[in-house]
Amino acid sequence: MLAPTPIGRLLLHLANLLVIAFLLLPIAAVTLGSLQAERTLQADTRALIPPEWTLDNFRVIFSGGEQRGAIFEQVTYLPDNVKKIRYAFQNSAVIAISVTLLTLTMGSLSAWTIARLGYRWTRWLVNASLLARFVPVLTLMIPLYVAFRQLGLLNSVVGVIVALTGFLLPYAILILAPYFDQIPKELEDSARIDGCSRFGAFWRVSLPLAAPALASCGALVFIISWNELLIPLILVNKAEFMTVPVVINSLVGDVHVFFNLMMAICLLALLPSVILVLLLQRFVVAGLQVGAVKG
Amino acid sequence: MAAVVESRRRGRELAAGRLAVVMNLPTLLTMALVLAYPIGYAAWLSFHRVGPAQLRRGEFPWTGLDNYVRLFSDPLFLLALKNTFVFVTIVVVAELVLAVAIGLLIDQQRIWTSRITRVLILLPYAIPPIANGLIWSFIYSFQFGFLNRILFTVGVIDAPVNWAGHPETALYAVTVPYIWRTLPFAVLLVHAALQGIGRELHEAAAVDGATAWQRFRYVTLPLLVPILVVILVLRTSFAFTVFEEIRAITQGGPGDATWVAAWYSYKKAFEPPNDIGLGAASAWVLALIVGALAILYVKTIYRRIH
Repeated sequence: MLAPTPIGRLLLHLANLLVIAFLLLPIAAVTLGSLQAERTLQADTRALIPPEWTLDNFRVIFSGGEQRGAIFEQVTYLPDNVKKIRYAFQNSAVIAISVTLLTLTMGSLSAWTIARLGYRWTRWLVNASLLARFVPVLTLMIPLYVAFRQLGLLNSVVGVIVALTGFLLPYAILILAPYFDQIPKELEDSARIDGCSRFGAFWRVSLPLAAPALASCGALVFIISWNELLIPLILVNKAEFMTVPVVINSLVGDVHVFFNLMMAICLLALLPSVILVLLLQRFVVAGLQVGAVKG
Repeated sequence: MAAVVESRRRGRELAAGRLAVVMNLPTLLTMALVLAYPIGYAAWLSFHRVGPAQLRRGEFPWTGLDNYVRLFSDPLFLLALKNTFVFVTIVVVAELVLAVAIGLLIDQQRIWTSRITRVLILLPYAIPPIANGLIWSFIYSFQFGFLNRILFTVGVIDAPVNWAGHPETALYAVTVPYIWRTLPFAVLLVHAALQGIGRELHEAAAVDGATAWQRFRYVTLPLLVPILVVILVLRTSFAFTVFEEIRAITQGGPGDATWVAAWYSYKKAFEPPNDIGLGAASAWVLALIVGALAILYVKTIYRRIH
């Protein structure tokens, strides 16, 4: 861009401050809320910065409701979901990591055949993936519930993993196939001349070269499966098998859980994907741009 | 010698066609189980009576178009459709305008605050939608909310405002959290498109005496049109299925002011009296609307980009 005038620069800085304030507003709200007691929230309903701070919300969460700090002394009842939230974080981690690994494995196998072997039906898989990305999760929910009920896959971590993997495979194909396509074919050809099989050329040559695309795809798949509510919500109703978003959903409208505790849970829930996005920023951006323009 | 090695290798390895089938088998099976079969099954269920009693017995009696007739004669569904259209229109228009504005803003190399915005713009993408909804219901809270606290501090209001609890403002109130969460996607696409526009064009226009506005209007904007169409189609079809923010902030209320299509399907199917057939029918109507947009996207826009 051309050099802006001093007034132009000032206006641009102001515009940036406005956007930054908007982006950080929910982060500020969830952080401030999680560090307060119900009492301080209710005492002054106009103050922006609370007069007192406390870590009791986190103490209750980490101890599974055992350690009630000063602010929960009067509380006689805590919902089971909150006491068992440790399981929810475990389940969410197991599910997000398994789905990421499965999706990357199956997705790169398919994406490579699409880019390299180029049959009519493998190329058709790209169109199917494009269309599949538009299928509303909600349309899938009802038949998945009925089908998984008949298969006995309700209330199981495996059921959620299978459903999420199938739902996210189209994303993986759309991100990985164009990348395999860009890798020079000559590299695989020379490996084949040295005695590699077709699969060996994929496994030893192309797959390592696709590392950046695998990182993009893995980051996006992890974030989406960590954040997903509807699929586990429909497939699971026991506290032992719930994921973090399902527990958060169960707190909506629960009169026994006040905003301060809810905000502490929300803050813990958003930390893993926020950290991942900030660490893998470059890859997330690339994945979103490829996956979007191409799907 | 080379021929011997060649023939031995050919003997051991799968033919390319078979290899393609084997390597795609896991993907095809999973996508068939989780995507293809459920979509077909949803359509099948929408023509049958499916409720708790039928689920127990495992028999779903054929009811023809009954579910669809009940759906389109239900004023609540028509209201949910109307609310969805209002919601989608506001969200998509706001996101297009904001994406262009913020995209241009983070493209400023000489403004150091733009670099901070460029990093932070990704943040909303990472937030679990249901947590986003709950955080905003805290922000909007009548008594304890941060929005009212901010407005008190700035001196804009004297009495607390019930942003999400008032029938007049509730639907608008739920658009803001949704826009907040889904904006990064649109901004990143505009940002990528802007980087593809050569600086020479701008400099040439400036030499010819074009003002900043004219350079935007006649150089940048026309070049952004293709990506804006992509954003328009993608955001429209995804916003049609908004669920989490509605669930966390208003639960369709106050009254029925924020019932949207996805919320209708969910409530009908998964809350008593569990009219799963009706829920499947409404979910299929939703899928058809989105599907029409998807086909439009694949047939016209996606092909042209490649």
